[in-house]
Amino acid sequence: MNLRISSLTEFLVSDMGFVELVVYGVVLGSIIALGAIGLTLLYGVLRFAHFAHGDLMTLGAYVVFLLNLELLPTLGIPELKWGSLSFGGRMLGALIVSMGVTVLVALLIDRILYHPLRARKSSPAILAIASLGMAFILRSLIYIIWGPQFLFYSQELRPAWALPLGVRLKPDQVLILGLALLLVLLLYLFLQYTKLGKAMRATADNPQLALVCGIDTGRVTAWTWGLGAALAAAAGVLYGVDAQLRPDMGWSFLLPLFAAVILGGIGSPLGAFVGGMILGVVQQVSTAFLLPTYKPAVAFLVLILLLFVRPRGLFGGA
Amino acid sequence: MALLDVRHVTSGYGEMTILRDISMRVEPGEVVTLIGPNGAGKSTLLKTIFGLLPPTEGLMRFEDTDITGLKPPALVRRGMSYVPQVENVFPSLTVQENLEMGAFVRSDGFAERLEEMYAFFPTLRLKRKQRVGSLSGGERQMVAMGRALMLDPRLLLLDEPSAGLAPRLVGMVFEKMAEINRTGVALLIVEQNAREALRLSHRGYVMASGQVRLEGKGDQLLHDEAVGRLYLGGGR
Repeated sequence: MNLRISSLTEFLVSDMGFVELVVYGVVLGSIIALGAIGLTLLYGVLRFAHFAHGDLMTLGAYVVFLLNLELLPTLGIPELKWGSLSFGGRMLGALIVSMGVTVLVALLIDRILYHPLRARKSSPAILAIASLGMAFILRSLIYIIWGPQFLFYSQELRPAWALPLGVRLKPDQVLILGLALLLVLLLYLFLQYTKLGKAMRATADNPQLALVCGIDTGRVTAWTWGLGAALAAAAGVLYGVDAQLRPDMGWSFLLPLFAAVILGGIGSPLGAFVGGMILGVVQQVSTAFLLPTYKPAVAFLVLILLLFVRPRGLFGGA
Repeated sequence: MALLDVRHVTSGYGEMTILRDISMRVEPGEVVTLIGPNGAGKSTLLKTIFGLLPPTEGLMRFEDTDITGLKPPALVRRGMSYVPQVENVFPSLTVQENLEMGAFVRSDGFAERLEEMYAFFPTLRLKRKQRVGSLSGGERQMVAMGRALMLDPRLLLLDEPSAGLAPRLVGMVFEKMAEINRTGVALLIVEQNAREALRLSHRGYVMASGQVRLEGKGDQLLHDEAVGRLYLGGGR
């Protein structure tokens, strides 16, 4: 084993201190949470594990690359950077368009792949494997179009802000966290207070009774895809802002996404949010002791430990 | 003209036929009970009427429209509601949200109807913000009935409304059913508690092996010796 263990004192006073790792963990956690909330909603309403969810993240990230670095500049639309951020309004516009495009792609995939399977009453395992196939297709298409190399939204070095407790934070990271939290808040308000949001929760609770109430389950399904895909696209773009774009970026997020969903209790959006945050923080903090390669292993260790204590997850079933 | 008219309906799950050539009806404002042994097809008949199972043969009419093959969303809009025997509430939603879901297809008059339901089930008003999963069995049954009544239906289908409830609550459920009927809603009930249900009913049907064996007025069936011996559990 290739472990790098530091002493406790070294850990606490080092440049990469505990508080800073927690802050980075919250940023990473907010990205995991965005993906995990969509995944848990899809599971709740459609009752299958959507393995292509990570690749919807990738798609969202590359559509922004296409728009903001390839298409819009050639149209002569300038990017006016905001303050110390690495991007500005053009990027935000591209993000919104990309969320829309990803939603359309998800709805199209549902129409041609999952809907016919559901109509034939295929088992959840069949749907999950079909989505695994779709994950490979999406990833391969991205490989073909953009190639295997790393891509960056911006390679410019921006000075980090020095905050108290030895925390250095890039302005971009503050925006990532802010945007992610805003999207989560909007989703919460939608689910809690709109008729359609309540119908979505009702359908996740008891699909048969939703039908008995006269709820249009087709419309609820479409909205679930829409929200899930939009949040996934945003998660992919925000990760791209923080790090870089790779065709397998979303795929590598899949394990933490599922871990967050299970940790929070399958089907619970609040649980997925909290689970994502916990995993983000634990994974980042673990890098003080372990090589970053072990991050997914740490995620699963946390998951296993928690499931011993709460087998249905943090916010799982009554 | 009958409120609900079922003619020669055959239905079941996939290849498995459960109901054979069923004919029955419910008049406006009437209480009708289906009795019979387990596996007689009583619940299957309710599911078929409510469009959860497609009939393979026969015709069904509700008021003056042909409802054969219509799905639940179309039926609730026409004035029919259904309370399943189990899983008849949304446990993670609050009481009020459950009632709102009952009124999903309704575009107006929601607040007034909600007020009427709370007047009808005062306990639900007190617990309107609680998650239904945390309520007792009797309270859940009130939520289930309240949910089905939100659309002000003319026919309410109830599958085993008193099943699994404490004896004290069984009486409450029957009282509520009588009250609902007094507001003009016709009831079609499947009930294990056949004696109690027949007392409340204008008419009843005795089913066995997927067929209607006997039809009669409530008290007539209640006092029929053969029915008593076979389906009402011996002496009174």
